[in-house]
Amino acid sequence: MDRFITFLFLFLAVWCPAQQTVTVSGRVFDESSGETLIGATALNPSQGAGSATNEYGFYSIAVPARDSVRLVFSYVGFQSRTFELFLLRDTAINVGLSTGVQLEEVVVKANSYQEQLNSTEMSVEAITTREAKLIPVLLGESDILKTVQLKPGIPSGSEGTTGIFVRGGSNDQNLIVLDEAVVYNANHLFGFFSTFNTDAVKDLKIYKGGFPPQYGGRLSSVIDVKLKEGNNKKFAGSGGIGLIASRLTLEGPIQKEKSSFIVSGRRTYVDIFTRAVNRSKEDSEDFNPIPDYFFYDLNTKINYQLGEKDRLFLSGYFGRDVFGVNGDFFDFDFDWGNATGTARWNHVFSPRLFANTTFTYSDYQYNIQTRATGFSFRVGSNIRDANLKTDFYFEPNNQHTIRFGANATYHQFTVGRLKAGSDDGLVSFSAGQDFNGIEYGLYFSDDIDLTEKLAVNGGVRLSGFGNDDTFYFGLEPRLAVRYSFNERWVAKASYARMQQYLHLISSAGVALPTDVWYPSSARVKPQQSHQVAAGVSYILGGQFLLNLESYYKNMDNQLQFVDGAQLFANDDLEEEFAVGEGEAYGVEFSIEKKQGKVTGWIGYTLALTRLKNFSTLDPNGRFAQESEGFGAFYPIYDRRHDLSVVLMYELSRRLTATATFVYGSGDLRWLSPGRFSIQDIYGANFEVVAPDYRERNNYRLPPYHRLDLGLVFRFFPKWGEHDLTLSVVNAYDRRNTFFIYLEPEFPQNTGGNAIEVPNRIAAKQVSLFPVLPSLTWNFKF
Amino acid sequence: MTMNHLRHFFFLAGVTLFCLSACDLEKEVAIELPEYQSRLVIECYLEPGQPFSLLLSRSLPYFDPFPPLNQEFLENILVDSAQVEIFHEGKTYELSNQLAFNPLTRKIFNYYSSEKVPFDTLSSFELMVTLPDGHVVSGTTRLLGAVPIDSLVTQFADMDTLARVLTYFTDNPDEENYYRRMFHQSSLDSNAIQDFSIDDRILEGTAVFGTGYNYVVGDTIISTLFHIDRAYYEFLESLEDAVNANGNPFAQPSPIISNLSGNAIGIFTGISYDRKAIILRK
Repeated sequence: MDRFITFLFLFLAVWCPAQQTVTVSGRVFDESSGETLIGATALNPSQGAGSATNEYGFYSIAVPARDSVRLVFSYVGFQSRTFELFLLRDTAINVGLSTGVQLEEVVVKANSYQEQLNSTEMSVEAITTREAKLIPVLLGESDILKTVQLKPGIPSGSEGTTGIFVRGGSNDQNLIVLDEAVVYNANHLFGFFSTFNTDAVKDLKIYKGGFPPQYGGRLSSVIDVKLKEGNNKKFAGSGGIGLIASRLTLEGPIQKEKSSFIVSGRRTYVDIFTRAVNRSKEDSEDFNPIPDYFFYDLNTKINYQLGEKDRLFLSGYFGRDVFGVNGDFFDFDFDWGNATGTARWNHVFSPRLFANTTFTYSDYQYNIQTRATGFSFRVGSNIRDANLKTDFYFEPNNQHTIRFGANATYHQFTVGRLKAGSDDGLVSFSAGQDFNGIEYGLYFSDDIDLTEKLAVNGGVRLSGFGNDDTFYFGLEPRLAVRYSFNERWVAKASYARMQQYLHLISSAGVALPTDVWYPSSARVKPQQSHQVAAGVSYILGGQFLLNLESYYKNMDNQLQFVDGAQLFANDDLEEEFAVGEGEAYGVEFSIEKKQGKVTGWIGYTLALTRLKNFSTLDPNGRFAQESEGFGAFYPIYDRRHDLSVVLMYELSRRLTATATFVYGSGDLRWLSPGRFSIQDIYGANFEVVAPDYRERNNYRLPPYHRLDLGLVFRFFPKWGEHDLTLSVVNAYDRRNTFFIYLEPEFPQNTGGNAIEVPNRIAAKQVSLFPVLPSLTWNFKF
Repeated sequence: MTMNHLRHFFFLAGVTLFCLSACDLEKEVAIELPEYQSRLVIECYLEPGQPFSLLLSRSLPYFDPFPPLNQEFLENILVDSAQVEIFHEGKTYELSNQLAFNPLTRKIFNYYSSEKVPFDTLSSFELMVTLPDGHVVSGTTRLLGAVPIDSLVTQFADMDTLARVLTYFTDNPDEENYYRRMFHQSSLDSNAIQDFSIDDRILEGTAVFGTGYNYVVGDTIISTLFHIDRAYYEFLESLEDAVNANGNPFAQPSPIISNLSGNAIGIFTGISYDRKAIILRK
């Protein structure tokens, strides 16, 4: 194999410089736990050459042979380490960095932003687990996915709705991967919490544009979540007890410094209270039992160092939301969730060539079961993937970082599988469709430092999707350019073409667990987008990073539903689709401070998204928006202004205060501007107030704003440490609009007349949260 | 953290959840809806053997005031002076502009002809409504035959006095059929307990509609099965979607799907049904 790879890349020798060099390579990891560090830098200051660790913690840097060389390894929040080297041949050095204070080197501060500035990557946001743990989201629970949505350009759905809408993209256009396995629904409890347990997460990065060619399959974002590998030095644990959920994480070495494990789980327990209430009131006649609801998830990971050149990782996730109502004559059970599995093999072919081969399995499903005496009803949908991919990293010299790879994913879809009937078999009916398809990807990219100031990352991805009767392919060029004016000023620009072969069929105005993934077919073409972005970054006073980015994105083959779409038990869903275009553009500004007593960021986005030119796939279908001349319309998540301010103030070693303020233009809603009356036929009820819906999403809700405050008290007993986190979500009790409805108000006494005419119609606003204080106890040892 | 601390913690959790549930999270707000152009609303149901009748009204901006239910209410929403014609098999039925009230069905119509709707499932009926300003609304429909109810079956729960009623019928799998099902207790004048429409996509031969265990011996149950066409089905479904979306943040609203041209809302359709009634016995 090694010979084959060497042969394959003989032609790449053109990149090898004339001066004799040797390569230093290896892993950079956290000294205390053995966790690899992603994005740590190895710098040769005399030559100004550097390399950053890839997502597997691997670095490779060429240095002059037979010469004394100084290599500095650094990572934000850790002490840097310097090695004085005189090398005759390629050498592997695994570097452990420490957060301790007693060593001579200072903790990296001034160049906290350097890696960000030097990279050709743009439109990327990252959040650390430390930040996520400090910033409470709801009921004291930290949530890394919710926290990253405080960064500019990533507005979430409004309160109480799921969905991440990156740069005007719809909710299905986010590629969410957990240890490289796709997570199809990253939400618990209808979107109030994400499926990612912050205790188990090592790193979260979100790409909003300028997508590197190794990513494909979605138009608008890549959310890459990496699980911790587990402490390979000592046994450790952490956890917490919150208002609604508890967590526990255990990790430790299996063989010291060679293999480790991590197991992390959490579960909500509101159902324990509600069951107690139900039991105490089950004898009272008018009592309706409170439905049972809970969610849980479990993350596990094992990693094993097979030798100097090989590492093996196995990781898995399983999570479920469970909702049920049980009565004397009627049972209703609804559960949904993801399962993912990853087997990953890292192999170092040579100091310049690193490979990662991964097999992943993903499953998302929902099931609804209803039983009434003598009858039963089951409906469910799922999507299952098996994916094999391999990625190579080749650093022929310090000017080039080449990545190439391939993947193939087998998708299996079950759409609206329904079975219902009577126990005696007299009545039975069923519906549902099964599909499958294979998605392919092949990519190549080269990150080239053309000059000291100019760097280019150019590449291409060739993607394809095929099923029984159709095959599509897409050529997706990607380009990113970085120009450094000086150490403080950097300008970047990027272009990315993306192709998406899966579509999310959402049966409601907002995302729900029952939304179904649907493949491209002969009639439903793949979604496509082009995105260009340009921006500048500036380091202000050595402490603040200022970012200004603008983008334009157009999207083809966007799906909406025809008017009055019939989604239930429909074996020809495509008849219900309308296909059109979308475009989005905007400007994002942020100022960030990563070091010091006060850290945080301010982000602001000015954006516009609109959809247009929709036509129905079914010639008899109806899409009033276009046919009645309303033209383009705005999706509900079109948000003109979006501001977030996040501040973390470390008052002392024991006490940290946080404040988060968000302000956004209200979401759009589709309200009826007119009404009419329908008296209907004999036996039917007179509909006095029937809405006449016209132009889509024609009403903007009032602006959304909210202030959340948090205080973290840390305690350092003799063994381990623990903290109490006090949080107040919605501190000034803002009643943000969840939805508005129009309610006819009827007179008290109608004198026995069968037809009631209202006095007037009132607009009612419903909010979800008042001020919400909570307390969470966290521990670790 | 001792057990005592834990007890305090859960007490706090309980108090917070209680406070949350007690908060009033709904309030009236003043909103301004987009401008609205009034549209014509037509209901015309052709029931064989019954006189031709049609209700022509208009839609209004959502917040327009409601006059009391009297002459003023009718004048506010009814549209007069239109020429209403229905064509069938070369014959024209003219409906004159007169207020007609059916005391049995308690329905009102403002265009009426004493001529009876012929039972003809082969030829279409065409409607044309011409307003004084020349605005024309038209539509076409065809009558369908009734689909019979096979049986009404009463089932009592084990060891209980409560019963449910099952309505069995047979769907022809070779045809694309749509049904409207209504269920009344005591009389058709009462509000329908069930009123919904379905298509036969999921039906395989024998089909059944059921009720909850809500009835006792002596109750009168009336079950009606309408055999409807696709246009009426789409109209009813879109009407239901439109009504239900107001107040449900998880529902997708729908514009009304009508089978009328000329920017009108409404339906022109035939009515055919089978109806069975029983008095519950053990």
